[in-house]
Amino acid sequence: MAVRPYWKGYLKLSLVTCPVQMMPATTDNEKIRFHTLNRKTENRVVSQFVDAITGKDVKEEDEVKGYQRGEDDYVILEDEELENVALDTTKTIDISTFTPRDSIEWIWLETPYYLSPNEPVGEEAFSVIRDAMEAQKMVGISRLVISRRERAVMLEPRGKGIVLWTLRYGDEVRNEDLYLTAANDEKADPDMMPLVQRLIKKLTKDWSPQMVADPVQERLADIIAAKKKGLKKPAKSKAGISGAPSEPSNVISIMDALKKSVAAEKRGRK
Amino acid sequence: MVSPRANWKGYIKFGEVTCPVALYTAASSSERVSFHTLNRKTGNRVKREFVDSETGDVVEADDQVKGYEVEGGRYVVLEPEVVAAVVPESDKTLNIEAFVPCAQIDAIYLDKPYYLAPDKMGGETFALLRDGMEKAKVAAIARTVLFRRMRTVLIRPHGKGLIAATLNFDYEVRSSIEAFEELPDLKIEGEMLELAEHIIRTKKGSFDPSAFDDRYEAAVAELVTAKSEGRSLPKKKTPVASKPGDLLKALRESADLSSAKPKSKRKAANANTGASKRKPTKASATGKRADPSRRAS
Repeated sequence: MAVRPYWKGYLKLSLVTCPVQMMPATTDNEKIRFHTLNRKTENRVVSQFVDAITGKDVKEEDEVKGYQRGEDDYVILEDEELENVALDTTKTIDISTFTPRDSIEWIWLETPYYLSPNEPVGEEAFSVIRDAMEAQKMVGISRLVISRRERAVMLEPRGKGIVLWTLRYGDEVRNEDLYLTAANDEKADPDMMPLVQRLIKKLTKDWSPQMVADPVQERLADIIAAKKKGLKKPAKSKAGISGAPSEPSNVISIMDALKKSVAAEKRGRK
Repeated sequence: MVSPRANWKGYIKFGEVTCPVALYTAASSSERVSFHTLNRKTGNRVKREFVDSETGDVVEADDQVKGYEVEGGRYVVLEPEVVAAVVPESDKTLNIEAFVPCAQIDAIYLDKPYYLAPDKMGGETFALLRDGMEKAKVAAIARTVLFRRMRTVLIRPHGKGLIAATLNFDYEVRSSIEAFEELPDLKIEGEMLELAEHIIRTKKGSFDPSAFDDRYEAAVAELVTAKSEGRSLPKKKTPVASKPGDLLKALRESADLSSAKPKSKRKAANANTGASKRKPTKASATGKRADPSRRAS
C-alpha cells in the first residue's frame, strides 16, 4: 500500500529490537471534502500567517514553534531540537508489560494504528513478538510519544500485523458513577425477560460494514452530482433516512409493546 | 450533589418498546503541550488570516463558503443550508436496527464513548434491555442524529448502565487485511516462540490506564531550560535492530534476563533456560556479549 508511514521507529521486547512503521487505522481520505471558497469570487481561500505585530506575511520557512515561558516570553524550539527531548519513547515502543486483552476495557481505547515491520530485516523479530502474544492471548503495554504527548499504548496481534491503540489518560475517562441514578438500580421484570430474549434473538444479525454506511455522505454526493450537471437539486426529504419520528410508547405497557414487537418480527419473517 | 448535565436526551427504541434516556460524555480529550507559532525573524507571534488565493484579499468569515472541487479547477458551491439539509431532522430516538454478537464487533470502528442512563421513569425498560443484551452477549446497533450529524451508535451493557459509542463509517476504516497484505506469512514456531512466550509470561502483569502519567511536557520543559542555559541535551542513541541471525541469541539472552529478575513470577514454565545470576545489563546490548553462556552458576 502506498500510504506514507505516519511514524517510524522501533519495536522492542527485552533484547529483541526491530524497525517498524505505523499508520492510522482510520482515514478521512474517502470522505467528501470541501474547500473553502470566497463567495464573491469563487476562488479558493487559503490560510496565511501574518506577524501579529508588524502585520507582514510570514513565509512558511519562517514559522517556528515557540514555547511560552511567561507573558510575551517565548523560547524558540526547532523541530530537530524537539527530537532530542530526553525520552526514548519518541522512537521506541518498548513493551514493558503483558496483560490479558479483556483487562483493558474498551472505554480506554482511543485511536488505532496499524503497526508493521519497516524493513525485511525486522520481519522475523516482529513475527516472533506478534505470534508469542497471540499464543499467550496477551496484549502488550508500552509508552509512546505521538503528536507531542506520551501515551500508554496497547499492542494487539491482528492477522499478519499488530494493532496499536493509544489509551486514554486517567483524567479523560469520566467516572460512570456520576451518571448513575436510582433508575439504574431498577430490576428487570423476570416475567418479561423471556420476551426480551426472543425479541433480541429475532433482531440479532451478523456484523456487516453496511451497518456503518453513511447515508448523509451518499446524499451529499447526489447533490454534488446534480449540481454539477446544472440540474435542480433533489427535493429534501426529511424522513428519508431515519424513518418518521416515533411517539414514545406508554411506559406502563412494556409487556404489550414487547408482545407486539415479537409478533411483528414473526410476521416479518413469513 | 449536582447531577451532571446530559449532552443529549431522547429515547431508545427496540421493536415497539421505547425508553427515555440521557447521554453523557464518557471521555474527553485533555490538552497536550501547546506551542505558539512564531515568526523566526522577529520572534513575534503570528496570526492566521484567510485570503483569496487569486486576489490576495482577506476573506471574512461571512464570505467563506464550502466548495467541492470538480474537474478543471471548478467548484460546486454548497451553501451551509444545503449541507445542513442533508442531515435528516432529529427524531431524538436511538432506533435499534439490529443486535450483533459481541464477539463479532471490531473495536477499530469505535469512535467516542458516551454513558447512556435511563431518564425519568425509564428505569424498568432500561433494565430489561441492558440485562437482555448482557444475557444474550450482544450489543445493539442504533442510528440517530447526534449533535447535528447522522451517527451509527453501538450500545452495550456496562455495569448498571449502558455505554453508547459512536462508530466510524465504513469508508473511514482502513482494512487491516490490506494494510498488512504485503507482509510475509511468517509463522514462528519451536524454540523462538517458546522463548518469546516465556519472556511474555515473566512480564505478565496488570495495567491500570488511569495511573499513567505523560512525561512529555516535563521533558520539553527540561529541554527549554537546557536551551536557555546554553546546555545541549545529550543526543539520543538510535536503537539497533536485532540482526535476523542473532535473533535466537537475543531471545535466549532476554529469557535469561527475565528469569534472573528477583521478582519474576512464581514459576517460569520454561525453567530449563536456567536462572542466570548475571546482572541484567543495559538492554541495548543486543547480541554484544561474547559468551552467551547460559549455565546457572
